[in-house]
Amino acid sequence: MTGGERRDLATGLAFISPWIIGFLAFCAYPVASSVWFSFCDYSVLSPAVPIGAQNYIDLANDEVFWTALWNTLFFSAVAIPLGILVALALAILLNFDIPGRGVFRTIFFLPSLVPMVCLAVLWQWLLNGEVGLLNNVLNVPLEALNALLGTSLAAPNWLADARYAKWGLVFTVVWGVGNAVVIFLAGLQDVPRHLYESAEIDGAGFWQKTLHITLPVLSPVIYFNLVMGLIGSFQVFAVPYVMTGGGDGPERSLLFLATYLYQNAFDFWNMGYACAIGVILFLLILACTLVLRSLSERHVHYAGK
Amino acid sequence: MSRKPFVSLWVRGLALATLCALVAGVQAAPDPRAGRVVVKYWEKWNGFEADAMRAVVDDFNQSQNRIWVDYSSVSQIDRRLMLAIAGGVPPDIAGVWGLSIPVYSENNALTPLDKLAAEKGIGPDRYIPVFWDTCRHEGHLWGLPSTPTTLALVYNKKMFREAGLDPERPPRSIAELEAFNEKLLRRSPDGGIEAIGFLPEEPGWWNGLWGYWWGGEMLRDGKVNVGSPEIRSAYEWVQSYPERFGVRELLAFRDGFGNYASPQNPFFNGRVAMVLQGVWIHNFIQNYAPPDFEWGVAPFPSFDPARHPDVTLADCDMLVIPAGAKHPREAFEFIAYVNSPGPMEKLCLGQLKFSPLATSSPEFLARHPHPHLRAFSDLAWSPNARRYPVTSTWTAYQSEMRNAVSRIWSGNADAGTALATVEQRQQKNLDRAAARWTRMAPVLKKLWKDTSP
Amino acid sequence: MTSPTKQNAGRLLVFAILIVAGVAFVAPLAWMVSTSLKPLNETMSLPPRWIPSEIQWRNYPDAIREMGNFWLYAGNTLLVCVLSVTGTVASSALAAYGFARIEWKGREKVFWILLATMMVPFPVVMVPIYGLFKDLGWIGSFKPLWVPAFFASAFNIFLLRQFFLALPKDISEAARIDGCSEFGIFFRIILPLCKPALLVVALFQFLASWNDFLGPLIFLTEQKDFTLALALQSFQSQQGGTSWHHLMAASTLVLIPVLALFFLTQKSFIEGIATSGGKN
Repeated sequence: MTGGERRDLATGLAFISPWIIGFLAFCAYPVASSVWFSFCDYSVLSPAVPIGAQNYIDLANDEVFWTALWNTLFFSAVAIPLGILVALALAILLNFDIPGRGVFRTIFFLPSLVPMVCLAVLWQWLLNGEVGLLNNVLNVPLEALNALLGTSLAAPNWLADARYAKWGLVFTVVWGVGNAVVIFLAGLQDVPRHLYESAEIDGAGFWQKTLHITLPVLSPVIYFNLVMGLIGSFQVFAVPYVMTGGGDGPERSLLFLATYLYQNAFDFWNMGYACAIGVILFLLILACTLVLRSLSERHVHYAGK
Repeated sequence: MSRKPFVSLWVRGLALATLCALVAGVQAAPDPRAGRVVVKYWEKWNGFEADAMRAVVDDFNQSQNRIWVDYSSVSQIDRRLMLAIAGGVPPDIAGVWGLSIPVYSENNALTPLDKLAAEKGIGPDRYIPVFWDTCRHEGHLWGLPSTPTTLALVYNKKMFREAGLDPERPPRSIAELEAFNEKLLRRSPDGGIEAIGFLPEEPGWWNGLWGYWWGGEMLRDGKVNVGSPEIRSAYEWVQSYPERFGVRELLAFRDGFGNYASPQNPFFNGRVAMVLQGVWIHNFIQNYAPPDFEWGVAPFPSFDPARHPDVTLADCDMLVIPAGAKHPREAFEFIAYVNSPGPMEKLCLGQLKFSPLATSSPEFLARHPHPHLRAFSDLAWSPNARRYPVTSTWTAYQSEMRNAVSRIWSGNADAGTALATVEQRQQKNLDRAAARWTRMAPVLKKLWKDTSP
Repeated sequence: MTSPTKQNAGRLLVFAILIVAGVAFVAPLAWMVSTSLKPLNETMSLPPRWIPSEIQWRNYPDAIREMGNFWLYAGNTLLVCVLSVTGTVASSALAAYGFARIEWKGREKVFWILLATMMVPFPVVMVPIYGLFKDLGWIGSFKPLWVPAFFASAFNIFLLRQFFLALPKDISEAARIDGCSEFGIFFRIILPLCKPALLVVALFQFLASWNDFLGPLIFLTEQKDFTLALALQSFQSQQGGTSWHHLMAASTLVLIPVLALFFLTQKSFIEGIATSGGKN
């Protein structure tokens, strides 16, 4: 290393030193101790006692954990694609030359600003089985249908019914999708006009243009949103926690990995067990990200690469 | 983008923050407590129950000039308190639930009070036995009672009369309860339920403990005992509800129920005639039931009243000193004060409850507005006055029981299956806690012996 | 080639769909405000009514009173937000500069580590961090909520690095020849050019701190130290679903500052989010 290189290294490290300290204190050390505690019986009030892989063995036999895992996976598998689909559709519609685009964009974006606790309280109210706004809207077509066909369809009592509770949560996610709309819209504006024009000359319609031009160009942005959505929905906590009044919903239908981790750490004082859940949560995110990455290498189209 | 909004935003933000910090600083300025030891006291109550305790705190603060109790109501106290104790910043006194004693003490979260209580001459003879027992765990005293409750059958006399039942003759066995239930049931023309005699799910706060009225035990010899015939039969009774009345119909019926503390409470607006409730129901009836509401109280019927008469759950709220509290002696001064006859009766009168002390003064009983106070306080003396199961895993056990009832209720599992799930999960949990306790007990017991103040 | 009529019909259809979607997106917020201005009995009325028979402004002061020390909570939240924003902007800008504008050995590898840390969600490290703050004696204070912000966050570094990379190299070179120190270049030349980006980071951090729930939930112990998010949740859990008009009023109050901030800075906000979209 030359003197100049050494000096650059020193300057560079000096500039990133806040991050290095933060990384060591709030990431590397906690992750390492999380792994260590996951092999211990530990509750902050008494010292950690190593118990081997007992926590993981218990987890494997813990149906509640499997419920939480299933709920988390189900929620992610529904909410992420649905969110991206809705955001994409709205962005494509907004990309048309129509009056009031700016107003629409603001309208779609606003809900994503709503703080999570407000979001939860608000949707708890909207999803109320009897006087909730959503069911009052749904009841209009349902009643018409019932009158017509003699059926007895009724809107579900969302958050009180184990079968529908997670869908209630999905609504809140889809409603807060405005962030992605803005990102997609920005991505759409980068699509070279000439691509569309030449496609039109070839007689391509709206769907063909969307499928063959828009989506490939947007693919890196979609990929990025997938990854971020994944990391976000795997750690979903605040909204279900608040919606259920600090609980886990009917028949644990709103128990997620982060909720179960929290319960074990701060309600049951099984912090070692909580750490084991944390380690699994982390490995899951890692695995899913790697899978997405390898998929992206095949399907994501990077301009100029 | 111009730089103006950026800079001005910052200036405004900083100015506002400074202002708020100043306001906060001014508010925190102490005056009447100068020269006194300030004892921080967290209580879970809010509303009129908090006010009743506040009056006692004020009396205490005025009665002497050495200690100042700084009282505040804390929502979701279980979580907050454990976090504060774990974080090393506990209050000096906390008002907690009686059922929290095992889990708190086994986690080394409380200060043992044996010596302090002995110094003040506080012993078992002062209390109704079941409440003194609630204060103790693993051979140590962990708290002293604040206000108690028992559970009883509370029923709507008007609905009884309208259904052709004698309003002075409540049911005395589960079989009778169900016979009354049939008579009190009203259906709408389309088959929906309009009113019912009794629903285990309303309010359903003790869904984990129905077995008590069958003479069952939730724990036996360190084993989860839900497989026993008594408990099983209790939950088969729960299961009979969705079977008899229909899952959908019950769900639709319960959808129309308003909040507990509101005139839409189904017991207050005549949709449910009988409920299992605590002594506090009087206060809610006064506030939310119609003025002509007529009600009676009786022991909740057991399955076999000859073998198990007067079954109840007796529980009391508890004043404890968290581990790591800065002023345990001063904190105990206050706890002992609350547990002397005068202040205790003032507190219980304010909260409209009976006293946990073995004797109540005639004035207290004469002044007390609760029309059925004796019905509740007599139950506390019953040999079948039961406590919450004594285990540090009860929180998890209880939520598992609730989950089981929720499965039974929705028709997704029968009682046997649901209870088997509980047993399988909770036995593991219990074993785990037992193993943990075996490891920690010698260390902690020595610690408690050596360091108790 | 599409005919003009067909094109117009298409645009009309798009417009119609957008109107429907727009109504669906606005309705919950409108419902929140509408409920917040109703008398209690009208919140439960069937069929629902959008316009209360009498607008009850009183709900707002009532909700503030019922929440306890609302203004104190607002002050706490603001304090945490301002400190976190200051910390994040300063530290992330420094670190981003180190990653973008200084060539040093191993930079790319370290940057990969930084990106990888984005995959570690807070719940995973929550327990050890709780233990760490306990050992520092910080539980029950605001420090756990703002001190970490002074040690930069991966996402913000990533965002700022994009901006820094976009600036031409020559400006730094010219300054270096003039004998300007590296910190001088950063502070006097690069930072002023990147104000829009810094504003974006500041806004994001402000929102994150304002919204944060899990952090206050486990680190704050005393009611008087609550942030608005935590106070709202605690209010909701006390209410247990009775006074929806007060709950909606309280929620509206927590939301208003965020909306105000958005409308004040709308342009940079939208631009910032568009850039955060990870085109690379």
